[in-house]
Amino acid sequence: MHELSLADAIVSALSKMCEDEAWGKVRKVRLRVGALRQVFPEMLEFAFETVVKDTPLSGALLEIEEIPLEWRCLECGNRWREDSGVCPLCGSFKRETLAGMELEIHSVEVEET
Amino acid sequence: MNKIVTLQQSVMAEDEKFAAAIRDRNARMGLLMVNIIGSPGCGKTTLLEKTALQAGLSMAVIEGDLATDRDAERLARLGVPVVQINTKGGCHLEANVVEKAMESLPLNTLDVLFIENVGNLVCPAEFDLGEDFKVAVLSAPEGADKPLKYPYLFTSATAVLLTKTDLLPHLSFDMEMFAEDTKKLNPAAPVFQIDSLSGAGVDQWVGFIKLKAKEKKANVR
Repeated sequence: MHELSLADAIVSALSKMCEDEAWGKVRKVRLRVGALRQVFPEMLEFAFETVVKDTPLSGALLEIEEIPLEWRCLECGNRWREDSGVCPLCGSFKRETLAGMELEIHSVEVEET
Repeated sequence: MNKIVTLQQSVMAEDEKFAAAIRDRNARMGLLMVNIIGSPGCGKTTLLEKTALQAGLSMAVIEGDLATDRDAERLARLGVPVVQINTKGGCHLEANVVEKAMESLPLNTLDVLFIENVGNLVCPAEFDLGEDFKVAVLSAPEGADKPLKYPYLFTSATAVLLTKTDLLPHLSFDMEMFAEDTKKLNPAAPVFQIDSLSGAGVDQWVGFIKLKAKEKKANVR
């Protein structure tokens, strides 16, 4: 539902960077999106195509890398990927999220001017 | 020739600057900021009204709604400083609008600033407003399956509120499933059961907020 906001934020940030860094056209944008971030890739691609019109990103390809979630137990150090709040090894509730929360512009491919 | 530039920057980097500035200022002032998230009609405003009626908490509210200032009017009637933000269809609040809204509130007289986010279980959970923590509000009629269906909110909230508990006798609300799923998603979060109409459970909720506000004041750097 918020894919349009995200597309807009990506395009605004990169359009400004294009100007500041004197890049040519942006050809490709690589995004890393964690499994916990509630982003629907097809919808984000569609929103991106709509928002890039008349910007230096017009025609750019959006590549979305989906990052699976990973947790680490703070008691026994076990790592797991299943969607379970408790450690499958020791049953502890104390955990940290290692992966799955990413929402970042990883890199861009730009034409050299 | 094309070149690849590695950025590794957050998609919301621009808005996160506003969130960081808000967080920083609140830390200096010892002001607690709580982001309240739940569906339309789950009882967010009623809960805030009841919270305002409890003595001993100086609070203000920023109201996020698609349209109208009805929620703000309800709180203003109780003497609560309140700012209404109309998102005109936008499904969530962002830090840049919250920062602007904060300008018209008497921040230095407050213990806690509540943000009542736009009624929605999805998008508001994604955007950092500079709050100390999020609170997930679920009303009993929505059903016990909602935590698993909207895991991001229930995972990222510091407390979970089950409202409209007076309706439980009339519903097939599976309390065991709700408790289990909530624990699975967010083992550390306290769950408060609240019936705002009779006031049952409001004490515990307000006690929790008072404790957090006190901690915040004690940690002013």
